[in-house]
This record gives sequence, structure tokens and C-alpha cells, in this order.
Amino acid sequence: MISLTGLNLILPQLIIALAAIIVMLSIAVKRCHRFTNLFTLLSFAAAAISVLYIPRGSFGVSSLFVVDGFGKFFTVLIACAGFVITLMSYHYLNAREKRNEEYYILLLLSSLGALTMVISNHFVSFFLSLEVLSVSLYALIGYLKEEPAGIESGIKYLVLAAVSSSFLLFGIALIYMQTGHLDLSGIAAGLSSSGEFSGVFIAGLAMVIVGIGFKMALVPFHLWTPDIYAGASAPVSAFVATVSKGAVFAFLLRLFYSTGGLENKNVWTVFTIIAVASMLFGNWLALRQQNIKRLLAYSSIGHLGYLMVAFLAITDRGMQAATFYLVVYFTGMLAAFGTVIYMSNKKGEALYIDDYRGLFWKKPWLAAIFTTVMLSLAGIPLTAGFLGKLYLLTAGTEVGIWLLVIVLVVSSGIGLFYYLRVVAVMFAGKNENEASSEPVIGKIFPHGLVLTLLFLLLLWFGVYPSSLLEIIQQIASVIR
Amino acid sequence: MQNALQLVWLIPFFPLIGFLINGLFRKQLSKSLIALTGCGTILVSFILSVWVFLQVKNGNSDVAEYFNFISAGSFKVPFAFQVDALSSLFLLIITGIGFIIHVYSTSYMKDETGEHYGRYFSYLNLFVFSMLLLVMGANYVIMYLGWEGVALCSYLLIGYWFKNTEYSKAANKAFIMNRVGDFAFLLALFWIVSKTGSVSFDVVFSKASALGTSDVTIITLLLFIGATAKSAQIPLYTWLPDAMAGPTPVSALIHAATMVNAGIYMVTRSKALYSLAPLSQDVIAITGLATAILAATIAMKQNDIKKVLAYSTVSQLGYIFLALGVGAYTAGIFHVMTHAFFKALLFLAAGSVIHAMGGEQDIRRMGGMKGKLKITYITFLVGCLAISGIPPFSGFFSKDAILLSAYEHNKILYVVALFGALLTAYYMFRLLFLTFNGSFRGTEEQQHHLHESPAAMTIPLIILAVLSFAGGFAGIPDIFLKGGDAIAEFLSPVLPPEGGKTVSHSTELILMLLTTVLVLAVIVLAWFRFRKYKPEEEKGLGKFLKNKWYVDELYEKIIINPLDRFGAFLSNVFDRSVVDGLVNIVGRLVNYGSRQVRLLQSGQVTSYVLLMVLSMLLIMAVQFFLRK
Repeated sequence: MISLTGLNLILPQLIIALAAIIVMLSIAVKRCHRFTNLFTLLSFAAAAISVLYIPRGSFGVSSLFVVDGFGKFFTVLIACAGFVITLMSYHYLNAREKRNEEYYILLLLSSLGALTMVISNHFVSFFLSLEVLSVSLYALIGYLKEEPAGIESGIKYLVLAAVSSSFLLFGIALIYMQTGHLDLSGIAAGLSSSGEFSGVFIAGLAMVIVGIGFKMALVPFHLWTPDIYAGASAPVSAFVATVSKGAVFAFLLRLFYSTGGLENKNVWTVFTIIAVASMLFGNWLALRQQNIKRLLAYSSIGHLGYLMVAFLAITDRGMQAATFYLVVYFTGMLAAFGTVIYMSNKKGEALYIDDYRGLFWKKPWLAAIFTTVMLSLAGIPLTAGFLGKLYLLTAGTEVGIWLLVIVLVVSSGIGLFYYLRVVAVMFAGKNENEASSEPVIGKIFPHGLVLTLLFLLLLWFGVYPSSLLEIIQQIASVIR
Repeated sequence: MQNALQLVWLIPFFPLIGFLINGLFRKQLSKSLIALTGCGTILVSFILSVWVFLQVKNGNSDVAEYFNFISAGSFKVPFAFQVDALSSLFLLIITGIGFIIHVYSTSYMKDETGEHYGRYFSYLNLFVFSMLLLVMGANYVIMYLGWEGVALCSYLLIGYWFKNTEYSKAANKAFIMNRVGDFAFLLALFWIVSKTGSVSFDVVFSKASALGTSDVTIITLLLFIGATAKSAQIPLYTWLPDAMAGPTPVSALIHAATMVNAGIYMVTRSKALYSLAPLSQDVIAITGLATAILAATIAMKQNDIKKVLAYSTVSQLGYIFLALGVGAYTAGIFHVMTHAFFKALLFLAAGSVIHAMGGEQDIRRMGGMKGKLKITYITFLVGCLAISGIPPFSGFFSKDAILLSAYEHNKILYVVALFGALLTAYYMFRLLFLTFNGSFRGTEEQQHHLHESPAAMTIPLIILAVLSFAGGFAGIPDIFLKGGDAIAEFLSPVLPPEGGKTVSHSTELILMLLTTVLVLAVIVLAWFRFRKYKPEEEKGLGKFLKNKWYVDELYEKIIINPLDRFGAFLSNVFDRSVVDGLVNIVGRLVNYGSRQVRLLQSGQVTSYVLLMVLSMLLIMAVQFFLRK
């Protein structure tokens, strides 16, 4: 039972849930985009700040949730991402859609799903969080009514996510059948007593891997990613790329680290294959993309593959590396999509790499930001991406998983090409045929400001990562 | 004074500031202000480098630690700079030559618009900054930062005139080859981390003796692969001649003072590792010598003035690696220094010629220019004499030191290296005679336009010519002047003298005499052959050499084409046909005859789902299969 004292432990989740309800009610009274946006921003900020009021230590909230340093860290990360996405959505929605207020309900709800997922300690809470996250996403992806591509990809995502959820659910049921538990510690106990994995358990685990792999868009469950990224509006794509994937990854870490599922050699092998395939295919397929959102989609597949390297190291260092890299990935992806949003206009988004031709001569500051983002994603030194990759590699080399390390190095080498291609286009000569005279959506305030902030973060983490690492080191070992 | 050396961070700091100012405000600043910032920051760094050099000469050396760049548990990477004899010498070369090239550029690039001008100087400053990071880093990670930065800047600088696709192709080539090297470097880096638990030079080298031979050999070989890419050795040398596409001062900066020395510096710095891996040393010596000969033969038949110089660079770098491979580190570093002088000189002089010819680079259309371009001619001649090793020019002393150590090590190496030295003299004087002697073969208009370059270009030439002449006096061998080898003495704290000499003074003298006489003979031969221009027929060996041994074509055939095809295969065939196709085939088999399901199957979504299911089955199968 949740006692009253337990409530302050889940303060961030409560704030977001409450905010969703208030936004809904306020729409019934009076529509006002500015207010709704501002209120959503405040709620995300409040959720992030409220983490400070949660006492230190690891607490169970009923048997469903566990609030520990790891969970809190991800809570802040997701709330911040939500904040940034809300900020970036304002002018975008103003320009492209008439009824905007419901967007924020959906955004808050799916963030709520993500926020509960990162503190889930039980398959039931995990599954419910996943559904809260996904169901709101279906609508978010198809939110722009005028945009047939968006609606199409919304339906696509609905079908695919429903299928993956059904796998997941069935897998959970099979695991339950075998171990008699749904909470992670119970499963861990059940596993250690039974020793060898039984057939039923293997089948269950495989299905869970499919479900999680789908959400994280790992190869071979990645096919939806480019379509959805390209079809959805850019802020929503940013949300899918960061919050949705990050939350599932957090649960994946918790699931396999706390149950010791990775100690099993076969499970480890399966994940290794998935990781290798994701790194290689993600980067290979991105090479020929002309559409920047598809490029980012493939790149994110690759990045999730990189994260798996640290995950597969099964050490504290791996855990820290993964967490650090995830923060870097969040920052980079948000800034990348932020730039796409900035460059979009009423008629459509700046989808093609050619739309950025000669950007440096028109908007040098924006081009400098986008360049840094690309360099960080590519892992060039003095950006956060480089250090993130360095940590991943050290985590990998420490335990001697050379195959993964080598694939990581090779695939980030491949990755450099398409990232630098974007950079090269921005510095190339001016675009002669200025087709669209339509002004871009981005405004200096608040959009340019938040981009600049993300840009500075990328550099800050790249030069002085200790600031972030110290926090991560405190939370990272808690989970095991 | 230990504490004062903590201030060395100022040396890379100033070029960084210069980069930022010129990069951000290139639209606002006037050209003269841009030039002032660009040159001024490097000058300050140079002055600081001289100060550091003097400190080190007085016996101070230090590792200046600033903050922890990375700390993960027990693994720490401090942001630290190494100040010792080796790095301070490189600092002098980089900032000194860098400054001269900056000054030269102010005039050479003056026709560019203000914005491009600013961009050019900001890249140049960034390049110097990266190079300084590379040589100052006190651990492999900081070195790698510079290593990557240098590659990035050279990509930007070579592709500076990006409108020309030929140029951006060359930039890409340089970049890709460097990636291969970086990959090897990274692997070596992580190998070192996993074996010693550190990346700091002092820790790694002190633990080196505890490593197994196989580990050290693998690490050193991987590092050497990294070095071959940066320093343009077989098999990764082809990017350097193509990199000539960039502006000439850039070629001088990349080829003389900086980037190509990165690999040499890294190998020298890792001497403690290499001395434990005789196999790697042999590989280095042989690769270096082979590159030296290969590049020299190619240089004999090139007609582009900058290409000849580029291949001569590759060849000279080969010599330096030969020196490193036989353990003559001091001789190698000495040659790095003299080579920096005379190669910068030759490139800048070539730039002056190209400038006078209005962009023409083909020596078949030059000739007879010594009358109009007096200063350029004399300085170029000095450069040729220096590179050919005519006493008392600088190249004589350093090349002789290398040849002598090769002689001590293995007589065959010596003979081949001597042969290479003769080739060097031949192609350099061919270049000189075809460019400056005989009659002018360009157009009327070009002839009319011929003029000596302005002072901002000729003064750097004169300074470099003096250095090319006198630079060798830093390392006079014992037989001429007891204790005259100042450079070896300076470097001795880092690179202790390599054992006693086994060669007697009389043998040494005879070898020197032999080299000099043979080189002079070759020059005379070149004089008779190229005094008057005769078109060279292209057949047989000549054609083979002119086409650079067809190495580029070979790489195209065996590496690039298959990769290209594989890429196309992945995106076209694999993703579209195999994945979708496989899915469709399976789908059709499963759902054959069922109208309802076939309707569903027409959408892409179903194929996605099907792939999901198949993958899941595969995972289960793998699990079951592996369970036993």
C-alpha cells in the first residue's frame, strides 16, 4: 500500500500527472496556447526541481516502484528533455496547426509514462508505463491534421507498437509462469534458484527482448524508425528519439542488471548480435540519406547500438559510461531536432540536407551550433560526444569485449562521413535558388536561446566532463 | 622555475584565441586586422616557445597538470602538458615555421575576399593549435585530441576552395586515409589502457618493461599504422600528393612544419615502447626506406611543381622513419628540423613561382625564370642544395647522420638509402633547371606578367634560406668539431645517446666524401639532361613512374570500388530487396491463397511486423541452440 509518506517520493510523477489534468480542464474553460505552453513548461521545471525534495537513498514505493539515485537522475533528465521540447514546440505549433492545446496534454502524459518507467521495479508498472507512453505517442505522431504523412506514420506506429506490446505482454506472462514473480527482485531470486534457463523462460525472454528492442529501435526491430521520424513533426521526433528511447533504456539497465539476466551467456550473445547489427547498419544506412530526419533516425539506431556496448560490459564503469552517453545523446539529438525546427517554415520542415546549403553564410551562429552537434554526434574531440564514446570504449576494453569495441570504432568511423557531409553542405557556397522565401519558424527567444544552451552543454561536457561524471558516479552503483 | 612552466598552456591558447576572433568576426574585421590577429597570436606563441626552449635548455622540464580531463574510478586522464627537450624543440619548429607561413599567407591570399581571408586564417590558427596540443600532451588522449584536430583542419584547409570538386575529393582522400590511421591509433590506445591502466606517458613507459613482447609489438605496430597515415608512409601515402590541391602556404604548413611530423613525433615519444619491440623497429626501418625510394622514383617524372615537392616530402619522411627504425632517434629529429626549414622554403618558393605565373603549376610551361625572380631563384637553389645534402648546407649534416646510422645498422640499408639520396638530388635539380633555366615556355601573357613577389613573401623566403643553410650547424658531427652536436646534447635528457659509435672516423669521412661526390655527379648529370628542355617521352618505366606506380588505381580497384559497391549493395539490395524481399517471400508463402491476409500484406507495416516475428524466432532458436 502506498502510505502518505511514499507520496513525496513520487513527487515528479504526481506533478506531471496533475499538470496533464489541469491542462485538460483549462482547455475546457478557455483555450490559450501561450498559457498552456507556459504551464507545461512550469510543470516540467517543477518536476525536475521537486527531485531535490526526495530524500537520498533507495526506497520502495509499494512493490511497483523503487525511487533511487538512478531513477531520480533519469527523472531529471526526462523532465529537462520535456522542458526543452515544450519550448521548441511553441512557435512550431503556432505556425503549423490551429488547435494546439491538446498537444501538451499528450506530451505531458507520455512524459508521465516515461517518468514512471524509469522508477519501475515490476513488470506490471513497466508495462503500464510503456502503454501510457505509447498511446499518447500514437496521437502525438499524427497530431498535425494537415499532414498526411504524420497521420500515416501515427497509424504505422500504432500497429507496430501494438504488436510489440503484445509480444512483450506474452513474454512477461511466460516469465511469470516460470518464476512465479513479476517484480524484478523476485525474478532474480527465481532465476538464481533454478540455475539453467528453461524453454518457457527463454521464449519469454526473447519476447521481452523484442518488445524492448522495438522501443529502442535496435536492429532488427528498427524498421519503423526512419518512417516515423520522417513522418512525425520534428518536436515529436525529438521526443521519440530521446525521452521514449531513453526511458526504455533505463528500464533495460535496471531489468538486466538487477536480475542478473545478462550473466547468462546466451542472453549476452543475443544482445551482442543486436548491438553489432545496430551499430553497423545504423551507420551504413545513414550514409546515403538525403533527408535529415531519416539521417538522424539511422544515426540514433547507431547510437543506441553504442549504448549497448556499455550495457554489455556489466560493470559499474559500463553503467556510468552508458548514463553519461545517454545524457550526451539527449543533448545532441534535442539540439539537432531543434535546428530542424528552427529552420522549418509554415509550409513544411527543412527536411533535406540541401535546405541547409550555405547556412553558414546566412545564419553563422545556428550553423556553428549545428556543426557542433554533428561533430558531437560523430564523436570529434572537445565535444561531449567524443568523451562519451571514449567512456564507452574504456568500459568495453576494461572487460575485454573486443568485438564490440572494434565495431564501435569502425562504425563511428563510418558515421563521420555523413555527419561531416552535413557540415560541409552548411559551409558550402550560398544557395542560389532560394526557393522558399518563407521566414523560418525559429525565433531568437526562446528557441535560439535554448539551442545555444544545448550547444554550450555539448562543449562543457566535452571539456570538463567531471562535473557530470561526479553525479553519475554517485548514482551508478546503486542499482546493482 | 618549475612553477613558471605551468604557464605553457598559453602557447596553444593564443592560436586558439586567434582562431576564435578570426572565425567569429571575420565579417566585421578588416583584412589587415585579420592578418594581424592571425600572425600576432602565433608570434606570441613563438616567443613563449623560445622562452620554454631556453628553460628546458637550462635543465628544467615539467609535466604541467591542470585538471582531470576524464576520471572514471581509478582511471584518470589528466589534462596535462609535457614540457621537455623533445616537445620544446617541436614547439619551436611549429610556431616558428608557422609564423613565417602566416606572414607569407598575408600576401599570398590577399586577393581573397575579406570573409574568406578570415576563414583561411582561422583554419590556419586552429591547425597550429591542434598541432601544439598534439606535441604538448602528456598522455595519449591529449595527443589524440590534437591528432584528430589536425586531421579535421587539414580536411578544411585542403578543401579550402570547396567549389572545385577535385579539391574536395582530395580533401576527402586525406581525411579517409587519416581515419584508417586514427582507427589503428585508437586501438593501440585502448590496448595500452587495458594493459597498463593508464595513458600518461610516464606511467605507460615505466610499466612498458612489464608488458609481454607480443603486447608491445602489437601496440607499437598499431601506433605505427597511425603514424603512416599522418606522416604519409606506405601504404597510406597517396593522400599527401593529392593534398597539393590546397593553397600553397597550406602545403608548406602541412608538409614541412606540422602535420607530417605528427607520426614521427609519436613514434619518437613512444621510444620506450619501440625499444622493446625489435620487430616493429625493423618494420619501421624497412617501410621508411621503401617509401623513400618509391616516392623518389615517382618524383623523377612528375611535372607539377608542387607534386614533385610532395613526393620529395614523402621520400624525406621515409628517411626519417628509417632513422627511427634503426634507433637513431636524434638523427631523425635532427632531420625533422632541417627538413622543416628547407621544405617550407621550397614550398614557399614554389608558391612564389606559381604566384608569378598566375596559377600555373606545370614545369613544362615554365623555364628561364631566374632572371625575373632572382630572390626566389636563389632561395630555391639553397633549398635544393640543402635537400640534396651538399655540405655545408643543413641537409648534409642531418642526412649524413641518418646514412651513418643506417651504415652501422646494416650495410644493405645504407646502400639503398644512398641510392635514394642520389635520386633526391636528381629530381630536385631537374625541378630547379626546368623551372629556372633554359628558355621560357609559357604564354606571352604570362611572360609579360612575370614578376618577383612582394616583400611579405620574399622576406620569409630569405629567412628560411638562411635557416636552411645554417640549420645544420646545430648538429656538427664529432669529426669536424668536438662537442659540436648541440642538438644531440639538447635532446639527451629525453633521447639518451644511442651507444658508442662503431664506425671509425676515417670510415665516416670516406662515406661522407663518397656521398658528396656522387651527389655532385648526379647534379652535373641533371644539368646536362635538363639544361635545355626536351619533352620527355612517356613509355616503359617512365610512364610507370609518371603514373605513380599506379598505386592510386590499385587502391581504387581493390578498396574503393568494392566498398562503394558494398555500400550501394547495403542500401539498395540489402535493405530494399533482401529485407523487404525476404519478408515478402516468407509472407507470400505463409499467406498464399488468403485474400484477406494478402490485402493486409500490401502495406509496409506488415513486412516490418513479419521481420520482427522472424527475428524473435531467430533469437529463440539461437537461445535454444546454444543452451546445450
